[in-house]
Amino acid sequence: MVNNKCLFTLLFSLFALGNVLAQSAEISPERKQAIDSLALEKVRDLSKYISIIGNKNTPFSEANRVMDRAEELFAPESEMGVSSLSSKEVNYYIVRKYFERLIALNYDRVSIQWYDIHYISDLERQPDGRYVGVVTIYQRFEGESDDGMKYKDTTKKDITIYVERKKTQIAGRIVEFWDVMLGDIRVTETSA
Amino acid sequence: MKPAGLFVLLVTLLSPHLHAQLVDDMEDESRLYAQTKQVNQFFRRFNGEEDEKGERYYPRDRLYQSVKLRKKYLGILFDAENTGINNDLKNEFARAVLDKAEPSLLNFHGGNWFSEVHTTFAMNGKHQPVVLFMELEKDHQGTKWVISKVFAGMFEPYFIRDTTKVGKFLHPLSHELDFMNLRKAFINPDSVSQFTVKRFQPDHLSVFLYELKKGNLKFKTIQEVKFHFFQIDGWYFELSEFNRPGYNTGWLISNLVKVNNDKEKDLLKKYLYYEVSGR
Repeated sequence: MVNNKCLFTLLFSLFALGNVLAQSAEISPERKQAIDSLALEKVRDLSKYISIIGNKNTPFSEANRVMDRAEELFAPESEMGVSSLSSKEVNYYIVRKYFERLIALNYDRVSIQWYDIHYISDLERQPDGRYVGVVTIYQRFEGESDDGMKYKDTTKKDITIYVERKKTQIAGRIVEFWDVMLGDIRVTETSA
Repeated sequence: MKPAGLFVLLVTLLSPHLHAQLVDDMEDESRLYAQTKQVNQFFRRFNGEEDEKGERYYPRDRLYQSVKLRKKYLGILFDAENTGINNDLKNEFARAVLDKAEPSLLNFHGGNWFSEVHTTFAMNGKHQPVVLFMELEKDHQGTKWVISKVFAGMFEPYFIRDTTKVGKFLHPLSHELDFMNLRKAFINPDSVSQFTVKRFQPDHLSVFLYELKKGNLKFKTIQEVKFHFFQIDGWYFELSEFNRPGYNTGWLISNLVKVNNDKEKDLLKKYLYYEVSGR
C-alpha cells in the first residue's frame, strides 16, 4: 500500500506534468488554484494537529508524536510571532516551543475550534526562485478550570507558505512536482 | 506502510470530530469575511480583483477590475471612525481612482509605496524605539523587502546643532597651520557637529548598522506596522491595521491627502521620514 504522502505526491506530479509552461516564472491561474489546495491541505493538517495537541484528553506520548508530525510541515527555523489585545508587542517562539506551551496550559478542559474561513494571498517570487504566500485562518480557543475559571480568545493566524518546484524519480522517470512547506506564523489576538 | 503514513491515515480516520470542530457562529464569521485580512487583500479589493469571499478574479472573469465592484469595495476600505478624512475628500479620491478613461490601480511591484515599522531595540541593555522604513527591491529571481531608512530618537541628540548662532568654528586660515586647531575642535564631543558642513544630513541607517555590528544594539520586538502609498497620481494615503470589534476592521486607509505637486510630495515624504520637525 502506498502511503498517503507518496500517493498525493504522485497525483500532484502528474498534474504538474500536464503543463510545460509551469517552468516559467509565471504561475497560471489553474496552477495557482492547485497550489492553493495543497497549501490548504497542509494548513488543515496543522489545524488538526493543534486541536489534538491542545486537547487535555490527549495522552502526553501521543501529543509528542503529533508534535513531531506537525513540525514536519514546517521549513527549518520557523517561528510563531504572538501578540495579544493587551500588548501589541510580538513574542517569538520556535514552533516546537509553541506546541509545548499549548500542552502546558493550566486548564482542565480546552476547546480549540476553527472558523470555516480562510484567505489565501497571491504568490510572490523570492530572490532564490521559490514562491511565498500567506494563508490566513482564525481559531477560537476556550479553556476552563475545575474552579470555574474560564478564558476564551479568537486568534488570527497568518501562515507563511513556501512553494517550490522539486524533482523526484518514479520508476526511472524524473517527474517534477510543486511542494509546499509552512513557514513563520504570525498569531494575533483579534476582537473582530 | 511507513509509520508516518500510517499515523497520518489514523489521525484522519479516527478524528472525524476534528473536521467538525468548526465555529458555528455566522455573525462572527461575517465580520471576519468583511475584515481586510491581509495587505494583499487591500490591493485586490482596491483593484476589484476578488469576490466577497476572497476568491481571486482573473482577467478572463467578467467582474475583474470592474468599476462597479471597485466602487463597492472602496467604500469599506477607509477607517470609518476617522473623522479627519471628510466625505468630500473621499469622494474626490474615488472619482480620481475610478475614472473610466484612466482608472488608477495599485501595483504590488509598482514602487512608490513603503512600510513604516515601529520596533523596539535594546541599546546597551536599555529598550529604545527604532522606526524602520522598508521597501521592495528586485533581487535575482524575485523581490525582497529591504531597509531604506531608519529613524531612532536616541540618535537625535548627537546631531543637534544650532546654525542660527555664531558658534564654534575653524577660522578661514586654519589651513595655513595644517589645521592644528582641530585638536581644540575635538576636545568637547558635544560641539563637534558645529564643525560640519551646513548641508549635512545625519543618516540614522548608517549609525544603526554600526551599532548593530558593534553588538551594542539588539532587536527586541515589533510594535506596529503601517504603509504609505504614493502610487495614485496626485494622492497620498496611509494604510494601517485596525484590530477592533465590528465590520470596519483589518487593513484600512487611515489618512488621505491630496498632493498638488512634486514639492508637496517631497515635503510630505520628508515629514514621514522624520526629516522635518513636527512628527
